[in-house]
Amino acid sequence: MSLHSGIPDAIAADVRHGERLEWWTLLWIGSVVVVMALVMGASQAMKSAVIEDVLSLIPAIVFLLSAHWERKRANNRFPFGYRRANSLAFLVAATALLSVGGFLIYESVTTLVRQEHPTVGGITLFGHTLWLGWLMIAALVYSIIPPLILGRIKQPVAKRINDKVLHTDALMQKADWQTGLAAIAGITGIGFGWWWADASAALFIALSIIKDAVGALRQAVAELLDGTPRALDSNAIAEDAERLIAALKARFGDVGVRLRETGRYIAAEVDCAPPAVIPSATELMGDNAWRLASLSFRPQ
Amino acid sequence: MSGMRHSFALSFAALLLAGCDSLPRDAAGTTERIERMQAMRVTILPDTPDAHPALALLGAYARDHHARLKLVPLHGEHAHKALEDGEIDVLVGHFAKASPWQADIALSKPVARGEPDDKEHPVLRIARRNGENALILATDRLVSEGPR
Repeated sequence: MSLHSGIPDAIAADVRHGERLEWWTLLWIGSVVVVMALVMGASQAMKSAVIEDVLSLIPAIVFLLSAHWERKRANNRFPFGYRRANSLAFLVAATALLSVGGFLIYESVTTLVRQEHPTVGGITLFGHTLWLGWLMIAALVYSIIPPLILGRIKQPVAKRINDKVLHTDALMQKADWQTGLAAIAGITGIGFGWWWADASAALFIALSIIKDAVGALRQAVAELLDGTPRALDSNAIAEDAERLIAALKARFGDVGVRLRETGRYIAAEVDCAPPAVIPSATELMGDNAWRLASLSFRPQ
Repeated sequence: MSGMRHSFALSFAALLLAGCDSLPRDAAGTTERIERMQAMRVTILPDTPDAHPALALLGAYARDHHARLKLVPLHGEHAHKALEDGEIDVLVGHFAKASPWQADIALSKPVARGEPDDKEHPVLRIARRNGENALILATDRLVSEGPR
């Protein structure tokens, strides 16, 4: 690890764990996409669920790419390294989440406005014709299990390595299993002859996805605009950032302290001349010392 | 509390099992209307000289529901519109697998023959109104069990 590149030892194992979880995500969600595509027939609801699943792979892909770039060494062309790839990946992941919510809203609203009656007919397997809805429900039950498990495992890892991309991916997994449940309710509703059930259930879920996505997008923009580091799950200032500001002020008096975030790392700027002894990251941030990538002072 | 949860789960499962046989239902109640009126309204598109196998299947369906077939003479796009609006129950005619009407009406598999390799090749099919899933499943069953 050098000043602006590489992953600190304190979180290296967790980052590798996160990467393994994302490879599993690609594998499992990929298999879900295949199973759903096989039974989707002409159902618009199932088609939306498949498109949503494909879009939900984006955060996992950008997490893997950004972790790869984070390890790349700084060079003459990129002297500050590639750590901001994580910030960019966060923006992409948040946009993907917003696209999923927006797509679901568009599909549901047009179905409701046009009063489209979804058709789910029969499928002949081994000489028996059964209602395709039963197969769709079975595929949807399968589609719920991997995101439910993976999303829950990812959340504590995302917290330990302060990774907003991984956290957004856990939100995407929540969106995945919730839309799966909504689609089961929808297909069951179609079975009962309620044409509006599917679209209404999807609309309800889409609104909660949009809420999560807008929150993530606000954080991503704040990060790219050098805003003070935000918490993992809200737009509030991160607790460790607040503690760092307090620690710097306690040490150097009531001077201006500015923090910004590059991916998972914090850069601090203190508005005073360099002191004779510069405090260590551990003194200032304790267990989260790895987060403090640089500390600068005003020139004499 | 757990007893209550169990009884809720049991009654939900019972409801689901009871529903299995009666699902799916029609969004606009075509099957019930056929039974109530004892008539299934059928339009045969012009230039369908080989409509007989489809009519035989529909006749069997109608008999099962204590109804008879009532032929409604309509032409071209009027027939498609009438089906979409629920003025007729089924439409018999030649449709390609990749028919431009595919999204607007529910097409059956080819009647009395296999699916042609060419998706653009029109063959005898039964078109149903979208969302009438009980009627669609019942006629899909008759088509798949019928002669090839």
